Amino acid sequence: MSEILNSHDGVVEDTHVAVRLEDVRPPSDEEILRVENLTVEFPTDDGIVHAVRGVSYTLHEREVLGIVGESGSGKSVSSMAVMGLLPRNARIHGKILYRGDDILKMSPRRQRDLRGKKIAMVFQDPMTALNPVYTVGDQLAEAVLAHELMPRKDALARAKEMLDLVGIPQAEARLRAYPHEFSGGMRQRAMIAMAVINNPDVIIADEPTTALDVTVQAQILEKLIEVKDAVNAAIVLITHDLGVIAGMAHKVLVMYAGKPVEVTDTDSIFYRPRMPYTAGLLGSMPALETTGHRLRPIKGAPPSLINLPPGCPFSPRCPLADEVCVTREPELMLTDGLEHRAACHHWEKMASVEDPTVFFRAESEIKG
Amino acid sequence: MIAFIARRLGISVFVLLAATIIIYVMTALSGDPLADLRQEQGPDREEKMRVRSERMNLDVPIPVRYLQWLGGLLSGDLGVNREGQSVAIILGNALSATLQLVVAATVMAMLIGITVGIISALRQYSGFDYTVTFMAFIAFSLPLFWLAVMLKQYIAIEFNTWLRDPVIDPPVIVVVSLISGLTWGALTVGTQKARLTSFAIGAAVAAVFLTFLSATRWFADPGLGTVVIGLLAFGTAVGVTALFAGLQYRGPLYAALAAAGVGTALSAVMPGLLVDPTWLELFGLLLLTVAVCVGLGYALGGLQRRQAVTASVLTGVVTAGLIFMDALLNAFSAYSRRMRGRPIATIGSNTPNFRGDFWQLTLDSATHLLLPTMALILISLATYTRYSRASMLEVMNQDYVRTARAKGLPERTVIVKHAFRNGMIPITTLIAFDFAGVIGGAVVTESVFGWKGMGNMFLEGLRTVDPAPVMAFFIVTGGAIVICNMLADILYAYLDPRIRLS
Amino acid sequence: MTLSVSAPSGDAQGMTIVARTQGQLVRRRFFQHKAAMAGLTVLLAIVVLAFTSVGFGPFDGWWKYNWTQTGTVVNGGQPTLTLWPFSLGEHPFGQDNVGKDYFALVMRGAQQSLLVAFLVGIVATTVGTLVGSLSGYFRKWTEAVLMRWTDVMITIPVLLIAAIVGRMAGGSGIIVLGLALGLVIWPQLGRLVRGEVLSLREREFVEAARAIGTRPRRIIFKHILPNTLGIIIVSATLTIANAILLESALSFLGVGVQPPDISLGQLISFYQGAMLTRPWLFWWPGVFIIAIALSINFIGDGLRDAFDPRQNRVRA
Repeated sequence: MSEILNSHDGVVEDTHVAVRLEDVRPPSDEEILRVENLTVEFPTDDGIVHAVRGVSYTLHEREVLGIVGESGSGKSVSSMAVMGLLPRNARIHGKILYRGDDILKMSPRRQRDLRGKKIAMVFQDPMTALNPVYTVGDQLAEAVLAHELMPRKDALARAKEMLDLVGIPQAEARLRAYPHEFSGGMRQRAMIAMAVINNPDVIIADEPTTALDVTVQAQILEKLIEVKDAVNAAIVLITHDLGVIAGMAHKVLVMYAGKPVEVTDTDSIFYRPRMPYTAGLLGSMPALETTGHRLRPIKGAPPSLINLPPGCPFSPRCPLADEVCVTREPELMLTDGLEHRAACHHWEKMASVEDPTVFFRAESEIKG
Repeated sequence: MIAFIARRLGISVFVLLAATIIIYVMTALSGDPLADLRQEQGPDREEKMRVRSERMNLDVPIPVRYLQWLGGLLSGDLGVNREGQSVAIILGNALSATLQLVVAATVMAMLIGITVGIISALRQYSGFDYTVTFMAFIAFSLPLFWLAVMLKQYIAIEFNTWLRDPVIDPPVIVVVSLISGLTWGALTVGTQKARLTSFAIGAAVAAVFLTFLSATRWFADPGLGTVVIGLLAFGTAVGVTALFAGLQYRGPLYAALAAAGVGTALSAVMPGLLVDPTWLELFGLLLLTVAVCVGLGYALGGLQRRQAVTASVLTGVVTAGLIFMDALLNAFSAYSRRMRGRPIATIGSNTPNFRGDFWQLTLDSATHLLLPTMALILISLATYTRYSRASMLEVMNQDYVRTARAKGLPERTVIVKHAFRNGMIPITTLIAFDFAGVIGGAVVTESVFGWKGMGNMFLEGLRTVDPAPVMAFFIVTGGAIVICNMLADILYAYLDPRIRLS
Repeated sequence: MTLSVSAPSGDAQGMTIVARTQGQLVRRRFFQHKAAMAGLTVLLAIVVLAFTSVGFGPFDGWWKYNWTQTGTVVNGGQPTLTLWPFSLGEHPFGQDNVGKDYFALVMRGAQQSLLVAFLVGIVATTVGTLVGSLSGYFRKWTEAVLMRWTDVMITIPVLLIAAIVGRMAGGSGIIVLGLALGLVIWPQLGRLVRGEVLSLREREFVEAARAIGTRPRRIIFKHILPNTLGIIIVSATLTIANAILLESALSFLGVGVQPPDISLGQLISFYQGAMLTRPWLFWWPGVFIIAIALSINFIGDGLRDAFDPRQNRVRA
């Protein structure tokens, strides 16, 4: 068996044309998930870590929401809160409404019924997210049996169906294989299969492609969109890479230091950023069309989440920062676009130029 | 698999061979085998020295002596000691007692140590965890021989004296109840109130239980009886089901309860049937029990057949164990009378020239094994506790445990299925190392409790610079360590599919 | 248990942490470890007490008796030590049946047991580190020899080989005994160091050093060993704790320290028969063995936490 498996190891060829977000059914108006003013704190030896400081968003049926931010921006912690997977010492406040019911107020038992059934998750590193000592089939079937009493045989049949759906060839044989017999891309496909096996309403994908080869990344993202359409699910796509979001999300929420700093549709993020941090991220992104420019990293590092400075947390790194910025933290406010919100005192200055990344360029060119 | 075992055995034979050279030569060089005779005054001194030299081949060089010994070994001859007694016969008498001791201590230490370690990890930073950690450090620092002497002098003698009038003093009841309460309280997570409740329940249950034992003078004529066996069996059924299948669905619970019911019903008639059984008969009964329980699980398990079989088999085996214990305890008062009221033995591995039925003989071994085993467990208990705690903590932080939770699996399944198996993988590598330590400990323990076991044979051989008994000791223990090592490897490969036996 | 470049973790939540050197961090964590500090205090107190009270070598001690002189047995040899109000009395730990002062005997035993244990620790650590790092770095025959040797040693229970060595060396004094025991128990440490070196030699900074033509000796001593220092120090500490127990067990069996030398285990063995009539003869050496082993174990635990704090952190 292992020879058959090995011969197909590596990149799996997809025969169909690439699936983009515009090719699948658009979101409806039905609200599936609503997060209201979520905060998460961890007490540590050095003080309280304010990991998430007030996140709100809504997710509609079939909608894809991208959450973008550096590591430590609170993007993963906020979604782990939705899944109820934070460690016991975490202090969580706010509301997480699934179809109107607050998950944080549910009994552990009801939370568990939602977890993996209605809200499923795809993790970052497929190499470690699967249990090495059980077969892939067993781990998939287990996800079904956790929520539904049925013969194991039927659960395995469902698992096979899902492996077919995510494009793993010879699904029948692969069910009996162990995770170490899979390549990275195949493991992530198996993780996606595991996430959709119970037809969830929401899939939270936490950096699903970060740990993968560049060649496989696009395939996995497309598969995610395709599978989402098959089971009619919404997606929260968490990434540190704006490039992943392009063409893959309807809405984007940019996070910095535990807070959303810009929320809008995907096009606006790329063409009309109203928060200097977003512009900085765009400037540090390689692009095919623009040549002759150097990549411009944002200088400095994100602030400590234990002792946050009083003003805008981005101000120490921001080329537009002035007196106001270091004294008062800006609220998320409506800017020029429709439903385009940004947390910046100077969004109008951003709006006044054609290409807002120019601020970062100016700075980097002045300073050499 | 078979090829793997064969290859490992082949390598092990060479390793053992190399070890025998080292041990033989070092033993032979460790002193003068004629030292005692040289001191002697008397006319036949020369003659004695000549006889011993001849018997031990002292006039040929050590390497030649080694080869002669090796030749003997290959033809199945372990040689004679310097008094001319056959080492094979000495070994035959010594072997079973020592193996019983070593195996009992290892198995108990593993069971208790791993369980405590896992609980300690799951309750990290609780009072229980801190206490276990502290006790482990004490255990790491206790000299085994010192503890053994303490057990012998205080526990055995005091306990035997107390058995004449087995009434538990009220202060003892209070202290034990408090400890019980504290343990439960420390194990409980949650609010102050929940902890206090656990404390109160734990303490109260222990107090009532001990008072009852004291008032009925249970220790004078112990036994369980059908009612107690029934209670324990049904309790086990519920507990085992909760652990391995969850109480959400009925199938596994019914299967386990059925197993408990059958066992309890049988417990009323079994003692009449098992008047003087043999171990083989008992083993047959155990197999029968397992078969019946598999059947029960299969029939009643419904869609959760696998879990149901696990739950009912475990319940069945535990109930069978309870029936066995009951029969053994029933024989206790008669045994105690035969020992003139001092049943807990402090010397030797059995009572010389003791005859009786199966239960009497088993009790005789058990009472002799009790204290040495208690002492010897100490060697490895703390090691198993610390390793399994560390291993579980490591595993509980792994991504796949998070994945298991994200699927919506109950915490029970996350721990029993996903964390436990991975956590046990590093423990297997500990087993062989630890087993060698236990054998060393057995030498010390036997010396304290005056067993004529293998440890005694080894020490006697070493004192008299007599390689034959020392080598016999090593052949058996080294062989046991090799087998233990191999079992550990097989277990490792079974637990971790990434390792292939080839 | 890699130590090399590990910065303090915790950056998962985006915390920025004041930069401190690895050494400062280790020292800070060690000195904040309460159990280790308690262990260190007790151990130092015992060492000072044992070596100053009855004297050592050419130096005279402050205690009025020594371990050889016999005398009249006062009050059945009962210990005169009282804790409240504190007073030592004439024979704080009592006397044996020929009137020897038991405090002097126990102090002498503690001295010699400590000496043997530290010798074993030093020898085993030195040999283990050398062989472990050589075989880990060069692989080839050094590794083959170490691995085969370890295979052989694993099949021999430590107590068996140590007893034989003790039988050979015990009569030649405690120094020889310590050296000999150290020479048979190093393989465990050697294996540990080898494993560590094996993983370090594949690391980028070692490869970089090799690429610029650094000689092997310099790579081992400048780049690899400093990074295994933590694991070596921790194992050396635990080896000493185990050596205390091993020596006392051997002496108890009569194959360790031989008269006229005195060790704690030997005292227990010698007075075991007096358990019922003079239990203190049994208690005191035992208490000292436990106190020494426990405090060294606590120190080892503190060092382990200090060098490798990951075990103790909850990952969020």
